[in-house]
Parts: sequence; structure tokens; C-alpha cells
Amino acid sequence: MAGLVSSRGCHKIRGSQIRELLDSKLNVLFDCDGVIWNGETVVAGAPEVVTLLKQQGKKVFFITNNCTRPRASYVTKFIRLGFTDVAEEEIFSSAYCSAAYLRDVAKLQGKVYVIGCQGVVKELREAGVPIVEEDTDAPTGTIYDYPLDPDVKAVLVGYDEKFDFIKLAKACCYLQNTECLFLATDPDPWHPLRGGRITPGSGSLTAAVETASSRKATVIGKPSCFMFECIASQFNLDPGQSLMVGDRLETDILFGANCGLDTMLTLTGVSTLEEAHGYKDSDDPERKDFVPDYVVETIADFIEAYEEEEG
Amino acid sequence: MAGARAFGFKGCRKIGGSQIRNLLNAKDFFLFDCDGVIWHGEKAIIGAPKVVSSLIKHGKNVFFVTNNCTRPRENYVNKFYRLGFTDVMQEQIFSSSYCSALYLRDVAKVQGKVYVIGGEGVRNELLQAGIPFVGDEDAPDGTIFNCALASDVKAVLVGHDDKFTFLKLAKASCYLRDPDCLFLATDVDPWHPLQDGRILPGSGCLTSALEVATGRKAMVIGKPSPFMFECISSQFRVDPAQCLMVGDRLETDMLFGANCGLDTMLTLTGISQMKTAQEYRDSDHSANQSFVPDYVVDTIADFLPAFED
Repeated sequence: MAGLVSSRGCHKIRGSQIRELLDSKLNVLFDCDGVIWNGETVVAGAPEVVTLLKQQGKKVFFITNNCTRPRASYVTKFIRLGFTDVAEEEIFSSAYCSAAYLRDVAKLQGKVYVIGCQGVVKELREAGVPIVEEDTDAPTGTIYDYPLDPDVKAVLVGYDEKFDFIKLAKACCYLQNTECLFLATDPDPWHPLRGGRITPGSGSLTAAVETASSRKATVIGKPSCFMFECIASQFNLDPGQSLMVGDRLETDILFGANCGLDTMLTLTGVSTLEEAHGYKDSDDPERKDFVPDYVVETIADFIEAYEEEEG
Repeated sequence: MAGARAFGFKGCRKIGGSQIRNLLNAKDFFLFDCDGVIWHGEKAIIGAPKVVSSLIKHGKNVFFVTNNCTRPRENYVNKFYRLGFTDVMQEQIFSSSYCSALYLRDVAKVQGKVYVIGGEGVRNELLQAGIPFVGDEDAPDGTIFNCALASDVKAVLVGHDDKFTFLKLAKASCYLRDPDCLFLATDVDPWHPLQDGRILPGSGCLTSALEVATGRKAMVIGKPSPFMFECISSQFRVDPAQCLMVGDRLETDMLFGANCGLDTMLTLTGISQMKTAQEYRDSDHSANQSFVPDYVVDTIADFLPAFED
């Protein structure tokens, strides 16, 4: 591979170029937030795109760092937003994959201390991974003497709007035991809300726990490859036949690069074309992995790519 | 020692007896960290009160430089008295909460409100410095989706807060979207030891969370940043060459001393161990030299024989 510098093109494509690309791929992996929907608002044309791809015989998967819902709840959201043919098996969230990791890779013997919401808790329960049950409405003890469960063998950190100092303190106390695993659902630093607001992401909470414990978390979600390994192990995917479509360069595009997938940035979410070019023009070789192969304004552009052929 | 210092090689030498006496004679200003140096929680280190009063009796200037931002200075005076340090005045105490208020008032000259993540220590110091602040007024069912955000927040100050919540983190992150809003941290201590092997997360954890959520770096008031020494220097005429910084945490107190050009002494009654100091000294990485103390003592009580004339 000497001399073969991977310089991804960052090419804006539409029409027949999109058609050519899609014809060469068997599998399309979509991020969700910023790609097929924004909050509770669907990206116009996204449901039609998914149906179209399936009609063309493609396998379609949804791969999201968003750990706030269990998969069954995602299915309901898909239906609610107009996607009529998405099956639970096609949805890979960081919550689902974290549970899969604990059960199948770590083969955890013991309990998990969870910082996270119902999405994570439900996936762990479904996977049969025991968690520390706490009655959070009746906190026991102070920050100096709260009870610690002796069976905790892993700490899992994910997005948690009920995160507070005591949870942070408990997590770092559990992590004093070097045999206790330290996992994070995803590294996302923040997420955009309406009106220019942001909400801190799992990555922010993980940073607090890392600092307190002097340890680094094993990250399940993108850009780590583990979620691709989950899909590949269930569906036998060839990376060379797969396209990753996302809106966040440091998460989705890097994920694609790490797993050997072609990547496409869609501009309906977080990252901008300017940022993509900024990474492309950078001297730092590590930045190259943030550069997408292709760029589209919106995935709805796939629709006209097929219409052109028929027209 | 001046020669060795010029080449950046710190001795990390354990000293006693007459070596301590010589050192005490050579220095006019003694800066002590508190936790792990003069007390542990509510218990004075044996001999520490006598060391402090002996230094003062011998005409030395004694200051206390602590990252602990949980108390206002008057409260610290009470603690000193309660633990047997009977001649410590408020003016000698420099905490990261007090210095954060000074920074906001005198250096940043902030026009507008400060959003505070912190406890009574920080709030009280801001109040005393006349700096308007907000924080802690969240409704129990408030979320970042529906809460009010104040319109004139011009700085975010984060310090130790055992009532820290996700909502406070989220609000601070939103305020810091404005690049003109200052981002200050009282200190970045990562954790503090408790009894029975537990640890307590420090201000550094809350600051890390906020740095990741905002993509911005906090300006740090406390050690190892030199700002607290600048505070002392602005109020008292201090010559760095006449100072000795005594602390228990290599990455905080010794680095602070190095950053301010002070001789440093590690006392072994706190967090850092001799072994770690030696590892830093023997390391290839030149940056690690700044963590190495000039001198080491088992406890500051080792100063006491030096006062027996």
C-alpha cells in the first residue's frame, strides 16, 4: 500500500452519478438524525428513498449513535414519520450494540452500572444483562457514603438527562476496580436543538467520568467499528459493497473510513461542505479520514437519480 | 540549587534537620496548599499549627493557596481557628473561588452576569466582589428544551458542585455558544481522595464535560495556572526567588511552583508519592520535569526541629 494515499474526493454528486454509485453497492447504511429526520420532522423524500432502495434490491440499515430509545421505539418512530417498511432487525443503535457487546464480547459476569436513559436500560434487559437497580426517586446516602453494589463489573455511560454529581461519583468509585469494564455508548459531544440551543452528548458525560476515574472508555458507537461488526455478523456484509450515509464528519464519515466503506455526506444535518473541504485541504494526514467520498444536498436527491433513468 | 535549577533539573531531595533550617532561613514567603498539607478534612496534620505559628513568629510571610473553592474565605478563617491555627488572617488565604471573583472583577471586568456552576464558596465570593450571577434557579421539571435562558450572561464559571445536574451542564453549554462569553474554571483537579478508598470527583470533571460539549477550552484560575500567584503579588510585595511552595500534588502544586518560578517542596502527607516524583524526574519527556519538586519532606512537622534555637 506504500504510495497509495487514500484521498477521498468530497465530490458533490447528483442525478446519474448517484445512480451509478448506488448501482455499484448492495448495502446502504443510513445515520438517522440529520439524515432521514431532524427530531420529529422527517427529511422530505426520505421515506420514498428507503422504499426505492429496497425495490432496487438493496439492503438498507439504520445505524445511529442515539441511545435514547430501544429498537422497538425506533420502529414506532419510523412508522410515525412515514417510513412504512423498516424492520427492527435493520436498526442498529448504540444502546442495542452496547448490550450486544456486554453479552457477546465481554460476556459479562456481574452487573452493569448504567448512566443512561430508558433506551439503554431496556436494551440491556432484553439482552439479559443484569443492571444495578436503583430507586432514583429515593436517593440513599450522601456523596460520601452512598451504597455501592459489590457485583458491578461494568460501567456504561450514555446520554442521560438525569445525570448528576452522585451518578458521576458512583461511576468513578466503581471504576477504581481495574477489572470493572468502562464502556461508552457513543462519543458525540453535543446535539443541536431548536432555536440555536444544544444538548450535551454522551461524549460530554463520558469525559467527566474519564477525568474522575483517570481511565479511558471503550466506545461502542461511531466512529468505532463495533456497530459495523454487529451488522456484519448478523447479515454478512461486504464493506466493499456498502455505502455509509451520514451528516457528521467526525462520526459518520470517520466511521465509514474506519470500516472500509465508501462514504457520503448529506447536508441536511450538522456538518457543512466548508468543513468537509477544510479537512480535505488540511496538512494533517489524520484529517483525511474525515473527508467524505461523496456529498449530496439531501438524500432526497436519490429519487431524481432513478427518475432520470426512467424519464 | 540555583545552578541546578538553571538547567531544569530539580533535585527531588528529601531533606531534614539543618537542610530544612537553611531553607527556612533562605526564604521569606511560604505558600502552603491546604488539603493534604496542613489538614486532612477536619483534622489538622500533627504539628502543622505549630509550624505555621512558628514561621509567623520568625517574621516569615505565610500564605495559603488552595484550589478548594467550596468555602468563602471567612469560612476558611473559621476552619483554621477550629483546627488550631490561631493566627491566620483572611488576607493570607487565596482560594480559587476568591481568585475567580477577582479575575472576573479586575481582569475580565465582566459587564453582565456570570452563569455559575458551583457552591456556596463561589457564590459568596462573587457576591462580595459585587459580580451579578445566575445559576441554581431550575424548576424540578425543567429541561434544556423548555427552560429559560438569561439574555445577558457574559461569562460561565465552573467549579466544584455536588448539586451538579445535566440541566446546568446544558445551560452552560448554550451560554458558551456565544464566543464572547468567557469560559472560566476555578480549577481542574480531577478527583479528591475520601476516607475508605473512595474518591470524590473534582471540578476538573465538570470542566471536561463542558469543554467537550462546547468544543472550547476553559481558562483555569487555580493551580497550576499562575493566576493565584499574580493575585498574591498584586496585594503583597512578593519576590518569587524568596518563595517556597509547599504542596502534596505534583501535577497541581509543583507545576504551579514551576510556572511561577518558585522553589517547590512536596510533603508526603497527601496525594502524591515519592515514587511518582522520582518517575517524573527520571522520565525522558522534558515536560515532566515541571512536576518534580526541589525538596521533599515526610510531613511539614519536619520543620519543627529547625525552630528550636
